[in-house]
Amino acid sequence: MSSVHVVMDHQNRQFNLSDERVAIEVKDWNLYYGQKKALNNINMLLPEKRVTAFIGPSGCGKSTLLRCFNRMNDLVDSVRTEGSIRLHGHNIMDKRQNVSILRRKVGMVFQKPNPFPKSIFENVAYGLRLAGENNRSVLENKVEWALKGAGLWNEVKDRLHENAMGMSGGQQQRLVIARAIAIEPEVLLLDEPTSALDPISTLSIEELIFELKEKFTILIVTHNMQQAARVSDYTAFMYMGDLIEYTDTDTLFTNPAQKQTEDYITGRFG
Amino acid sequence: MLRTWMREGNHWVWFNAMAVAISLLAVVGLISFIVFKGMGHFWPKDIHAYTVQDGQGGTVQLIGELHRRGDRVEGNIKEGVTHIPQLLVKVGNRDIFGADFKWVDEHAIVQDITAKDLIMVERYEWGNMYGRLKSVTLGDGMTVTGDQAWDIFQQLIARHTELHKQIVRIQKYEIGAINAGVEQLRLDRRRLELDNELTEQAIAKLDEKRRQLDNDYQTLLAQMRQLEQTASALGKADIEIMNGSVVSLPINKVVESIMPNAMTITEKLGHYFHRIWVFLSDDPREANTEGGIFPAIFGTVTLVFIMTVFVMPFGVVAAVYLREYAKDGWITRAIRISVNNLAGVPSIVYGVFGLGFFVYVLGHNIDQLFYQEALPAPTFGTPGLLWAALTLALLTLPVVIVSTEEGLARVPRAIREGSLALGANKIETLWNTVLPIASPAIMTGLILAIARAAGEVAPLMLVGVVKLAPSLPVDAISPFVHLDRKIMHLGFHIHDVGFQSPNVEAAQPLVYATTFFLVLIIVALNISAITIRNRLRERFKSVDN
Repeated sequence: MSSVHVVMDHQNRQFNLSDERVAIEVKDWNLYYGQKKALNNINMLLPEKRVTAFIGPSGCGKSTLLRCFNRMNDLVDSVRTEGSIRLHGHNIMDKRQNVSILRRKVGMVFQKPNPFPKSIFENVAYGLRLAGENNRSVLENKVEWALKGAGLWNEVKDRLHENAMGMSGGQQQRLVIARAIAIEPEVLLLDEPTSALDPISTLSIEELIFELKEKFTILIVTHNMQQAARVSDYTAFMYMGDLIEYTDTDTLFTNPAQKQTEDYITGRFG
Repeated sequence: MLRTWMREGNHWVWFNAMAVAISLLAVVGLISFIVFKGMGHFWPKDIHAYTVQDGQGGTVQLIGELHRRGDRVEGNIKEGVTHIPQLLVKVGNRDIFGADFKWVDEHAIVQDITAKDLIMVERYEWGNMYGRLKSVTLGDGMTVTGDQAWDIFQQLIARHTELHKQIVRIQKYEIGAINAGVEQLRLDRRRLELDNELTEQAIAKLDEKRRQLDNDYQTLLAQMRQLEQTASALGKADIEIMNGSVVSLPINKVVESIMPNAMTITEKLGHYFHRIWVFLSDDPREANTEGGIFPAIFGTVTLVFIMTVFVMPFGVVAAVYLREYAKDGWITRAIRISVNNLAGVPSIVYGVFGLGFFVYVLGHNIDQLFYQEALPAPTFGTPGLLWAALTLALLTLPVVIVSTEEGLARVPRAIREGSLALGANKIETLWNTVLPIASPAIMTGLILAIARAAGEVAPLMLVGVVKLAPSLPVDAISPFVHLDRKIMHLGFHIHDVGFQSPNVEAAQPLVYATTFFLVLIIVALNISAITIRNRLRERFKSVDN
């Protein structure tokens, strides 16, 4: 574990969950796929403008939980939920909640880069256009801002109108991040954003995450524990649909409270 | 040795190669057969003057084109039969000899010369005439003979072609427009009558318009009569035909005349393409056995386009509903099975349905509701372009639905989720992302639909395609596209010329030529659709995997 210590450097800040402002509050949250229970009574407070990582073995429910925050699970017919998730005090599971507006506030980046078969410009402008923005100069400014925010501007500024499918995997993933931040969400959900990328691209995405947390609340699901240790301020360990342990990243990786957490991070299972 | 060869599956490879080769050969063979038979028809053939023994010691002269070779059978089964080779000569002059063609025994021919002065005259009526130009008499009575006669003859024909074009224009378009106006006035009057609004004022107004049209008509009629008079006063040509008599042929009966035996190969080639162009651009004459096929080409293409306008939106919307919205229950499954099976229903069934439902039920009711003034003459309550297009749309709907559904199924989930995660709702995702990605598959559906529809004949005979349509379905008279009109169609034209024609030998090459152009048009329509599809594919290719 010593190597994790070395990499981990949070500008010598001490993280303490009770000092943070709350972005999302998950209360008595249960989720079922048909008869099968996939999330079991989750309770957690997610801090604003911090990076929170979700780790755990495959099938532990971490992606499922992430997809609750922008209600992507609505697309699955068999899903049934209980409990509440509040975004800045607002219950997002409320029947009156407009899902499109929620998803504009809670952006998401997926495991595999999924740019649309359109130009780079149109990819980033997609969400803006959906929000009703059609003014050319406003679009150009926001696209430039988003591409700069995703650290992609210098690479693509001369070929904004070329098809995005011609970019490399790492570029595509940063484009997808630019697309997500262009509509200025409050929360950014990253579902294993680097699992399909090579180490260099992974590094650039991780650096990007570090910069983005100034503006956005970031929730990241990852299989890679080193990555969680490197980029996150808080880490939640999940196992079989239960939230086993949730604390600041330093503590979780150096001094886990639960036996299961320790077993997992030391590689004894999972 | 053979065993290892077999075990490696080589015999299957050879079998496959053979199957492919045979299929290719069949296609290439068919196409070249059609091209050879059809396109040969336009070549200006030499004219022969045969001297033939008449069987009574004397000889007769036959002038005409060698159409094809054949034989006749003599003798009986008991004593054995002999095949006597024969030539089929197109001698023309159906008005004089009764038939265009004559069989002659090859051995009876004593002399066969292709003299340079033999001419072929294509006439507006009664087919071709073959013979020798004796003299040309001009309108003022001056007679020209010798070498000069041919040049004058050609000039007069050219002059008449010009006049003929003007006459046709006045007759077909200008007087046609007036007739349409008169008919419209009659309908207006009848409508007012039905609505009990036929006041003195209205009548006066209608009469005024009618007078105007009548005036215009009289002016045009006078113009036309003038032109016709000029045409008939152009003169005449005296032509000696094969039985030695001299026929006087007025210039205004002549379409064109050539002297093929005196033509160089370049001249022949030029004339060949000219004839193909005439075939493509002209109206048919003489019960479709002469002239061109332009109305049939136009009808076929219009029909396919209008069908596309109907089938694409309906098919795509239906597929989107089935794939994206309908819950996957037994009803959805039953609908899908029915749609797939609809593709296998014989097309004549669609024709009968189109006649029974579209024409008699829908058309009849449309007439009752909107075209009451025209009754009892039906407007939409009779076969026409609209019903033919709708019947074909119904026929090709399954193909479009199935292809579109497959295309939609291939759009990756990740792309849909990417769009939804940006705040797009289902419709926005479909419209902005899913449908563009599925567009190559939708185009595949269209390609298959066109291929199926353009070659269809059986159902069309019932719902709007006729042997000879008086006017094209699209013209300059409002509302420009006349969905109620009957149309001509290449497929039906082939059937009609080939099997309903009184002049089989003359019609046969036309059947091949028409077939060739039908195939060409289907290929052209398909290639344009395929080009669009390939462009779309190129744009969305990396999404597919």
